[in-house]
Amino acid sequence: MSVAEVIDNARSQGRTLLTEVESKQVLHEAGIPVALAVFAPDSTAAVQAAEKAGFPVVMKVVSPDVAHKSDVGGVRLGLESKKDVRLAFDEMMAAVKAAQPAARIEGVAVQRMAPAGTEVIIGMSKDPQFGPVMMFGLGGVFVEVLKDVAFRIVPLEPKDAREMVREIKGFAILEGVRGQPGADLAALEGLILRVSKFIEAHPEVEELDLNPVLAYPDGALAVDARIVVGG
Amino acid sequence: MNEVAAASLSIQKRLDRAFNPRTIAVVGDKRAMGYLWLHCMKTFDGKVYSVQVDPNEIPGIEAIGVPNFKSLLEVPDDIDYVVCAVPRPVAPRIIADCIEKKVGAVALFTSGFAETETEDGVAVQEQITQMAREAGLLLIGPNCMGIYNRRLGVRHSTDQPSGDPGNVGFISQSGTHCINFSLVGALRGVKCSKTVSFGNAVILDAPDYIEYLANDPETDVIAMYIEGTKDGRRFFDTLAEIARRKPVVVWKGGVTAAGSRAVYSHTASLATAPTIWDAAMRQAGVVQTESLDETIDAVNALTYCKPGAGSRMGLIAMTGGQSVVITDAFERAGLDVPLLTPASYEKLSSFFNIIGGSYRNPLDAGGTIGMGFVPGNLQKLFDILEEDENVDAIAMEVGASFIARRLRENPAMLDQMVGTLAAHKERSAKPFLAIAHPGHVEDVMADIRSRLIERGIATFGSFQAAAKALRRAVDYWRTREGPPTQ
Repeated sequence: MSVAEVIDNARSQGRTLLTEVESKQVLHEAGIPVALAVFAPDSTAAVQAAEKAGFPVVMKVVSPDVAHKSDVGGVRLGLESKKDVRLAFDEMMAAVKAAQPAARIEGVAVQRMAPAGTEVIIGMSKDPQFGPVMMFGLGGVFVEVLKDVAFRIVPLEPKDAREMVREIKGFAILEGVRGQPGADLAALEGLILRVSKFIEAHPEVEELDLNPVLAYPDGALAVDARIVVGG
Repeated sequence: MNEVAAASLSIQKRLDRAFNPRTIAVVGDKRAMGYLWLHCMKTFDGKVYSVQVDPNEIPGIEAIGVPNFKSLLEVPDDIDYVVCAVPRPVAPRIIADCIEKKVGAVALFTSGFAETETEDGVAVQEQITQMAREAGLLLIGPNCMGIYNRRLGVRHSTDQPSGDPGNVGFISQSGTHCINFSLVGALRGVKCSKTVSFGNAVILDAPDYIEYLANDPETDVIAMYIEGTKDGRRFFDTLAEIARRKPVVVWKGGVTAAGSRAVYSHTASLATAPTIWDAAMRQAGVVQTESLDETIDAVNALTYCKPGAGSRMGLIAMTGGQSVVITDAFERAGLDVPLLTPASYEKLSSFFNIIGGSYRNPLDAGGTIGMGFVPGNLQKLFDILEEDENVDAIAMEVGASFIARRLRENPAMLDQMVGTLAAHKERSAKPFLAIAHPGHVEDVMADIRSRLIERGIATFGSFQAAAKALRRAVDYWRTREGPPTQ
């Protein structure tokens, strides 16, 4: 499905929030490196998807009613085998129902578990004055507690992406500390610029979150994605 | 040319007429305001007409020597620029007359519109906006002080200098800041080319004026006081485009939550999150400031210092204590104070007075240059720092604490020192700054400052102010040059 088809499909169902599977599909089409996820409505499909993706896998609940998947037991990491997947599926269904009984559960999204990397966040929201604004920061407490983020107005030029990555206070972490190798800054900048192009090409996108993006010494990969489109 | 570009060109042409008028009409000036507007226009070279219907006001107007008419339409001349100071209920009628008279532009000094957040105020603002938009009338304001053209003597404060040209353009949503920039700035060396206070910006908004100043050959540097803008995108795009050609300094008002509340009741502008605003300005490549003082200092660094993207300072101070403090100030502002080259040290060692002095950088040079009054030695220091490849810019403390009495008795000494500084500045390829801080002998310091300014030397009131201003200028030139090629 093309970007327009995915968005039309969501709108026809009365949704402005694209599912993780849809969001990633759209971004993948735009050349943005994402860990693609496969939708599985039941346990058997989840096992098949896991085998196809290759172990270990990550499984996340797919529900239009669940905003924070990990808070309701809707995220399982590091599933190593078919047996793990089957068991995790049943446990997840029970956990989500227990935590949020009214939630409609459509199934799960399965993706290959990406190797650990430095977590960064790339996002976009719309400012009433300046229009689409991109945000970059380090994941976790850096964004949530320290608000250590950089902003730029879309469209970004290469120099903007370059400055944005270097502007955050935690930049030294991306350069590599305590013997850790540094992150591939060129890959991060490239990813930011591709997202900027994507947003420029799709003004109907109201919000976008790649959280987290894993930054590696060689490359970068968005492992979760969320897109909101205009109604 | 597309429609938008054609419309914009037409606005720019008509703005040029309003900024360089040959005829001016003042509508509604009155005794209660001390005939402010007519007195402001006394310096204007062209023709001034008054429009006033109140028989109690007319004799006072005629006493000033300005011909009065009962209606704008009766004025027997084309009018390039109108200042309108009538009460709010009369404003729509004057707008209608301006349209019929086909004036170049009208600045509406009248206030009491959307900024009052009252139904009436909003309604009349909408009415005049609608009228002006439909007729294509250039409306400046309302709730504003309009245009100041120094060279032509078109003023909005009777204290503003006139007659000679300037090279700094300023636009402001606030009349006070617009006037203060021109007045306080003049005292510190800023010569305005053209300024405009544009208030509620219902027809013409900041980007229109910025574009005008960008294309104005008289204007070398553009500064502004901004509280908000109707179209942030256009504002951003305009700044980004123009900052590549001319230095732009943006002083933003209302950056705190309480400040942005005040913004609305002042000019009815919407606020954007401070972090986003800051990022947008940085991305556009403009200089950001937070006060009138910082704005004047930044403008002076951009106007009088040679353009330079280097951050390594060569510092000259008069005493040991000042050497330490000047160094902290420049380092804290994000500039560097490096060691000099061996060649410089060799030259310095041949004549530098190290009793009570030192020359690693900063140069604690009071003893060597006799507080600036041994011109030969001062000249040598300048030459050494000029040639030193570790130094990108030079700053010097000009103090009079210990020699005020001598200076008062012997002004020729002062002339000689200022001459040495001015000659260095002329020859030097590096940015040069003088710091003449307030002292216990303020009259002497004021005299020194005004002499330095007269000779086109960037002069600051404190080490911190000088350091911050140079940092802003360095950042500007660095951004304009782009990142170093790898």
